[in-house]
Order: sequence, then structure tokens, then C-alpha cells
Amino acid sequence: MSTGAAIRLALSDILDGLRRYRLWVTLATEDVLDQHRRTTLGPLWLVVNYFLFAGTFIFVFSPSDDRALHAIYIAVGLLVWTYINEIITPAVTLFEREGGLIRGTTLPVTVYILRLTLQSLIRSGYSLIGCVVILWVAGVSVTPAWGWSAAGLFFIVLVSPAIVCVFAFLGAVFPDSQFIVSNLMRIAMFITPVFWMFSGNDPIQAALYHFNPFTYLIAIVREPIVSGSVPLSMMGWCAGGGIAIWALALVLIGRNKRRLALMIP
Amino acid sequence: MTRLSVNDVGLVYRVRERLTLRAPAGNQKTGGTVTRRGRETLVTALDGVSFALAPGDRLAVTGPNGSGKTTLLKVLAGIYAPTRGTVTADGAVDALFDINLGFRPEATGRRNIVIRGLINGWSQVEINRRAESIIAFSELGDFIDMPVRTYSQGMAARLAFAIATSLDPEILIMDEWIGAGDAGFQSKASKRMTEFAGRAGIIVLASHNHALLRETCNRWLHLEQGHVTRFSDSIDDLP
Repeated sequence: MSTGAAIRLALSDILDGLRRYRLWVTLATEDVLDQHRRTTLGPLWLVVNYFLFAGTFIFVFSPSDDRALHAIYIAVGLLVWTYINEIITPAVTLFEREGGLIRGTTLPVTVYILRLTLQSLIRSGYSLIGCVVILWVAGVSVTPAWGWSAAGLFFIVLVSPAIVCVFAFLGAVFPDSQFIVSNLMRIAMFITPVFWMFSGNDPIQAALYHFNPFTYLIAIVREPIVSGSVPLSMMGWCAGGGIAIWALALVLIGRNKRRLALMIP
Repeated sequence: MTRLSVNDVGLVYRVRERLTLRAPAGNQKTGGTVTRRGRETLVTALDGVSFALAPGDRLAVTGPNGSGKTTLLKVLAGIYAPTRGTVTADGAVDALFDINLGFRPEATGRRNIVIRGLINGWSQVEINRRAESIIAFSELGDFIDMPVRTYSQGMAARLAFAIATSLDPEILIMDEWIGAGDAGFQSKASKRMTEFAGRAGIIVLASHNHALLRETCNRWLHLEQGHVTRFSDSIDDLP
């Protein structure tokens, strides 16, 4: 199949998937509710988890003389990181989990991708509540630069289905990748400036900062809030990366859509 | 007019030597013939399958395990894409492979009706229209608003059966005849199943139960290792 034909097939799958929005919205909502159905707090546990995590980082890693700034830095960084982790780690096993529907229906691949994307978005929505509370307690004031943060968040959401798609196909052809990716994501949390600040002195830290795509995704949301500046060059890198990953996702969907039922374990 | 035309359909796929650290084993997804060419393993699941069905046709598909019956049904349903030949369906194709498909034990019976309706591609109006008859047929009463995990096996089976048979199929693909429930419910289920099948313009039914196939179908196709070895216009030829 030519690349052009693959992209056309992928676009038709995406349109078909978008038309079936009620299905993936329903499934994603049920997924989140199921995870907390028999608990007292329900999905509010996600807020508690975020507070515990963010609180630990703020009190352990923040210098006492500038705790408010660090709290803002960590709160926003953790929010973005949590979402990125929520879409990448489960994406690797997405098609295996959806095996019953893939082998029993002709639903568009996009339905599965958007189901996971929305599920992660809902879960991160609860983390956002915790983030807003920390920002309020830290006394941060809203500035027009926050509009750039909102644009950064919107960009990450826009590129999420493509990221899910790439990792889902990776998991379909390379089952061991679920363990490799989950371990790498654990390590990535520590080598990404989620809770540490880049000083520019250490060459290893500089490499981890500059050659790490997560740095850029976090920075486009965090920098406008923390420093009031707009990281235009980072936004440019993110836009380029976003276009590249969407192109890859379209080719993957188009080339594999019709043989997915034979690909999954 | 409902028609189903299958022209020289073949399905060959390469068994991926999966990029895994685990010892290679069993990646074959279908029946058929396995050939090895160097380091490549190819499975010919279907080869040169052709037939045409017109309104009123009920095709019985037989063959030993691994002969390609389910693969053929999945190709007809559009789940597997043939690597050769064409399948042309004039009419909506509905397939029943697993009546429990998409069932969520934590959700209520009513919610499961909505979810299965959405999977089937029904609009909200259609879901609402069918929901009451599904609830009435499944005899669940107030349990319909309880989580499915609280149901007995028989109750869950009745609900799944009632949802699955509420389709209005034009072309119906079935892997085995379905039934559900205890002795009392079985005769009711059998009657509904007959009515359900009767509404379909065309049926393709794979089964090992030849008595059932003779009762339900009027044409017969036999598969061996992905090849059609017998196609008959009369079900009386089925042994």
C-alpha cells in the first residue's frame, strides 16, 4: 500500500472514529468509574494521589527559602508528567486489552485510541483540581501569559492520540515493550525536570534537559506560569515533533488497520 | 436487494517472528495451511473461495476444526481483510461471534444495553426503542438497574442473548447457533432465535451441528484447510 493510500485510509478511520464519539466517551467514562466504583472517595482518590505525590516532592526537594516558587514549579510539572505517563504506559498494551472488540467488530482503530486518550484526560482532570489548589495556596497570580500555558496544554492533548497510536502499535509488534516502556517511564520521571530545576552547570544534567522530549512538553505549559515568559523555541520543537508523530501515526493506522485483528497477541 | 458475493477470496498472512525475548511459539491466528519459505512462515487461511448468495439464502458452513470456517465468517464480516479477491455485500452485515462482547460486569444491565447498542452503531433513539423489549424479554425486572456482577450466570446469559438477538440484520453472520438460559427460558430463546434469523435477508451459519444446519439452512459449503471442497445448492446433500 502506498503512503498516500495509507494516509487516506487512516483519515477515513479517524473521521469514522470521531463520528462514534458517544461510544468512546461512554467507554472512557465507564473505565474511570470502574477503577474506583467500590471506593468511598471514588475518582477523588486521583486528587488525593496527586496531593500526596506533589506534597512529598514539594516538602522533600524544595529549598525552604523559595518553597512557593518550587511548589508552583512542581505542581505544574507533575500535572503534565502524570498525563504524559498516563497516555504512554497503558498505550503499549492497548490493542491487547481491546482484543475482544478488535477480533469481534469492525470498529475504527481511532475508537480504541480516543478511548484511552479520553480516559487519561479525565484522570488528569482530577489532578488538575489538585494543581489549581496548590497554585492558589502558593499565591500565584494569573497573568496573560497563562494563555500560552493553556495553548501548551491544548497542544499536548492534540498530539496525545498520535502518541497513543505509536506506542499501541509498538506493543502489538513487540510485546516486551510494555515492560521496557514502563521501566523507561519510571526512569524518565527522574531524568526529566519534573521536580528539579535546570542549573546549566552540569553537562550530564544539560544533556538530560536538552535531549529529552518531555522537557519541552512540560516547559511549554510550565514556563509561562512560573516565569511569565513564552518558550517560543520549545514550542517550535514541540510543533515539529507533533507533526512528525502524527504523520507516523497516520501511516501506522493506514498500513495496519485492516490487519490489526491478525497482529494482536 | 440484499446480496452477498464472494469472488476468489484468499487470506494469506505472514506469521510474525515477534520481536520478543520469549521463546517463539504459536502466533498463528487462524486455521489453514502453513508453509515455510526460508525464515518466513506463511499461513494460507483461505484460498480461492467463491460463492454468491441472494435474498432468502441460508448458507451452512461446515468443516473440521482449523478448516477456516471462522476465518471465512470474519472475512465476510469485514474483520479480516482478504489478501486476494473481493467480498461485496449489498446490505448491512451483522455478525454474532461472542454474545458477551463488550459486557461490563460493574455496569448495570441497562447501562450494558446502551454500551452494546453503541458498539453496534445504534443511535440513542434506536437504543431507547429496543431497550424496553430487551428488558422485557430478558425477564430481569428490577435487576436491570443492578450491576451485572450481581447477576446469576443464567441472568447474565439471558440479557446477553436478548441484546444480541435484537438486531434487525440484513446479512447475518453467525459462528454457531446461540441459545441461553435454563430449561424454561430455552424454548423461549429458541423461538426468538428462529424469528431473529427469519428477519435476516441472508444468513451464513457455521456449525458442527448438522441437524441444526439442515433445519435452518438451504445451501451448503464445506471447507478443508481453507479450500472449498464442496458447495451445494441443496442442504439435503449435507451428510
